[in-house]
Amino acid sequence: MLSLQHISKFYQAGGTRNFVINDISLEVEAGEFISIMGPSGSGKSTLLNIIGMLDEPSSGYHYFAGETVHQLKDKQRSALYKKFIGFVFQAYHLIDELTVYENIETPLIYQDFKSAERKAMVADMLDRFQIVGKKDLFPAQLSGGQQQLVGIARALIAGPKLLLADEPTGNLNSKQGEEIMQLFKKLNKEDGVTIIQVTHSEKNAEYGSRIINLLDGRIESSKQL
Amino acid sequence: MFKNYLKIALRGFGRHKLFTFINVVGLSIGISAAVVIYLIVHFDFTFDKFHKDGDRIYRVVTNYTYSGDAGFNSGVCGPMGGAVKTQVTGIDVVAPFFTLGQPDVFIPGNTDVPVRFKNQENIVLADGNYFKIFEYKWLAGSVQQALDAPNQVVLTSDQAKKYFPTLSYDQMIGKIVTYDTLKTTVTGIVQTIKENTDFNFHDFISYSTNQANKTIADQLQLTKWGATNSESQLFVKLSPKTTTAHIEKQINDIFSKNYKERAGVSHSYHLQPLSDMHFNENYYNFFDDRIASKTTLYGLLAIASFLLLLGCINFVNLTTAQATQRAKEIGIRKTMGSSRKQLILQFLSETFFITLVAVIISIVLAPLILKLFADFISPGISANLLGQRDLILFLVVLTVVVSLLSGFYPAILLSGYNPIMVLKNQSVSNSSKSRNAYLRKFLTITQFIIAQFFIMATILVSKQIYYVMHKDMGFKKDAILIISAPWKNLTIKKNKLLIDYIRSIPQVSLAGLGGPPPSEDGSNSTESTYRDGKKEVKIELDEKYGDENYINVYHIKLLAGRNLRASDSTSGFLINETYARLINPQHPLEAVGKQIEKFNGDKTMQVIGVVGDFNQMSLHESITPLAILEGNQTYNSARLHVALKPETPGGNEWKTAIAQMGTYWKQIYPDDDFDYKFFDDNIAKFYVSEQHTATLLAWATGLSIFISCLGLLGLAIYTTNQRTKEIGVRKVLGASVAQIVTLLSTEMVSLILIAFVVITPIAWWAMNKWMQSFADRTNISWWIFVLSGAGMIITAVFVSSFQTVKAAIANPVKSLRSE
Repeated sequence: MLSLQHISKFYQAGGTRNFVINDISLEVEAGEFISIMGPSGSGKSTLLNIIGMLDEPSSGYHYFAGETVHQLKDKQRSALYKKFIGFVFQAYHLIDELTVYENIETPLIYQDFKSAERKAMVADMLDRFQIVGKKDLFPAQLSGGQQQLVGIARALIAGPKLLLADEPTGNLNSKQGEEIMQLFKKLNKEDGVTIIQVTHSEKNAEYGSRIINLLDGRIESSKQL
Repeated sequence: MFKNYLKIALRGFGRHKLFTFINVVGLSIGISAAVVIYLIVHFDFTFDKFHKDGDRIYRVVTNYTYSGDAGFNSGVCGPMGGAVKTQVTGIDVVAPFFTLGQPDVFIPGNTDVPVRFKNQENIVLADGNYFKIFEYKWLAGSVQQALDAPNQVVLTSDQAKKYFPTLSYDQMIGKIVTYDTLKTTVTGIVQTIKENTDFNFHDFISYSTNQANKTIADQLQLTKWGATNSESQLFVKLSPKTTTAHIEKQINDIFSKNYKERAGVSHSYHLQPLSDMHFNENYYNFFDDRIASKTTLYGLLAIASFLLLLGCINFVNLTTAQATQRAKEIGIRKTMGSSRKQLILQFLSETFFITLVAVIISIVLAPLILKLFADFISPGISANLLGQRDLILFLVVLTVVVSLLSGFYPAILLSGYNPIMVLKNQSVSNSSKSRNAYLRKFLTITQFIIAQFFIMATILVSKQIYYVMHKDMGFKKDAILIISAPWKNLTIKKNKLLIDYIRSIPQVSLAGLGGPPPSEDGSNSTESTYRDGKKEVKIELDEKYGDENYINVYHIKLLAGRNLRASDSTSGFLINETYARLINPQHPLEAVGKQIEKFNGDKTMQVIGVVGDFNQMSLHESITPLAILEGNQTYNSARLHVALKPETPGGNEWKTAIAQMGTYWKQIYPDDDFDYKFFDDNIAKFYVSEQHTATLLAWATGLSIFISCLGLLGLAIYTTNQRTKEIGVRKVLGASVAQIVTLLSTEMVSLILIAFVVITPIAWWAMNKWMQSFADRTNISWWIFVLSGAGMIITAVFVSSFQTVKAAIANPVKSLRSE
């Protein structure tokens, strides 16, 4: 589904290059659940952002769903990730001014779904996550776990093939975190959503099918579970 | 999607109430000003735009030079109309008409005494051609025969209803209307013009009446080529494709064929376009109709644009200042798949909503503002949206333009945020801050520049007005009444009788008979020559007329010689010091006794006295040579100059005295209304347009300061929020509240100072230019600028102190903990 070859990301500082990502190659098959681990500054988030096409690598080749990403124009790239990728963030990043319902609906608006379709899809999603009763609340009125649930619902609403999660449980207590991980696992197994998550927690990492350890911008180890 | 934008916009407004309020108020002020000024400007620019083929309609006007001085007359000499009709080619219609001077109109009623309408204006002698150039809707009668024969009259519908309130238009045909003594028959009724027009005539008496009525024929002066009269108006409609030069040449040829110019005088005829009539101050329109000044209109437009600009700047400033708070939303939307275009559209539509709210507020406010400025806004101007298609169109355009102007930059800036930066750090890094801070500083400086310009201009204009109103003009101006005898019925004998009565009133200290008061808008002058050996002083000499009391009523100083006596009327006069200096530069007072030749063409007069200089006109004009003569003819004894004794505080002696004068007046002029004015009121009227300028400027100043301060407050809130942590750290390190406030205010003060440095020379230049219109003017003092700059700084510091002090006294523990 996704292939990174010799991807590097660096910043020029004076005469030297500071590598954030240093020559990483990675193949991801559809249906995988990958956990990326590593200490702070090892390049986890940057790698995730590059995969999600939010960030561009300084060099290397990037293929996604049969497209040569590194050759695409901005517009095509954005169309590509709109169609295939969903994001979940550590800090949830819900829009404070919108209700739960509207937050979940937003990606559909940008993908030009008709109003009636949107209604059905959002209702479906609310149902599935059992948050119908909270649909008119604003993010500030929800607990962290509930907010993250909304965040995930929003990421999934447009039916992405790939879910990218940057420390999705980082702001949650362990019970909430576990619930989220169970949900991820279910999504991966039952709906066949490919998931790549960045995490600090060994325990959470083990929900995945493969664990990749980063250190100083390189893949230090990769372990198939 | 639009609904989504609207929703998020409204919630955002609810969350940032203060910022939204400031934005709406700022824009509302700018837009209200724009709407009102649009109405004023639109009103004047639509005058007489509705006439069919208006671009081919011209008025023939006379320009002349008289011993080097240029003069302008909106009329032509009497015979010109007829000559143009028969001798000029390239003209479709020639319509001469003649404006009659305020006749009394009599309508025979049921009783023996006819209904009387006193001193009616807008009555003209015209023929059918007038209605061929200016098309009216005929409600009764027809253009073909209505004005063919003498003693016929066509009325407009409004006037007809006034004369015959109970009759239908058809019934009015054949009724009698009498103008003073001229008896006419109604032959037609036309619809009163509803559009903006200077053609407000409502009674059209047939031009051919002059063939039957000698008084009328005498007024028309149909054979005198040398007498140009602004009452003789001549309008022409050119044939298509004829040039004005071609017509002007033919008209000038006709004139030179028929008239031999006197030495030093020359006439030339020009075609004045219809579109020029409402604006050209050289030519009067018919009955002293208001002439609009394009300069004033453009000035107003400038004020409106500035206020609008201030509102927009506020918006840009506050929105970009708030940008970081919205960065998160932007980042999320981008990762959700929003394109930059969609974000720009979202922010623009938010701006559009705010603008729309401001526009709606302005629509509500506009009628109130019009009422507020009713003194100098034409009553024909209305802010009613109904039926004003142009106004609605203007509002739509304004909404779009203001939305774009204030929304475009913030939209570009906001939509440009990089989502990773936003989402990774949870708050925007400061990397983009400096650039957009520069822009905000630039915009704030622009606001201060505009505000300070208005402040400086207001101070100066007020100073000049104070100066002209309080300057010693060389005569007494308070407690003097000027009574104008009715020119139709006055005789010297009656005036003398009246003044004797008035002198008997105890409250009157002195009263004299004469012509115009010492200072008036308008003057009479004549050529005169003084010869002393080889030296010859040939000048235009201003004339004033009065009896022996005239100079005493006005406390005009007699410097040498003696006052006027009744016997002086044909032999001697007083002159002013300016003239005396021309006669004898070293010893002006020795001019007494000198002979002035060729006064009024042929008379020789002796200087019997020299009076101190006084301003014969407003301070726009300088003092010119003047003679004061004993008036011995009706026209120069038409006014009574009455000095009143001082009133006791709280007393109403003047009122009683004036009432008494009114009673005497009725005994002598029973048919006319008592017409009096206070002299100081007349003087104040010289500066009406300056007073209006001052009022407008004061408003512009107040509003621009207000808008700028709103923006300033918003910025102060932003800066203090941005620097919360810094303030906390400084306080922990021991900074006092005063030091923190100083720290936070320094930047603002420096912005004001920069604005001050930029605007001062420009303001000085502009003021200097404005002052040129006064011959006698106050100084552009340095303190005007200092006052304005200091005032701005104090206001700004005061306004922002609400925020800075709050930030400075906040507990640092709180601000540091939250980081």
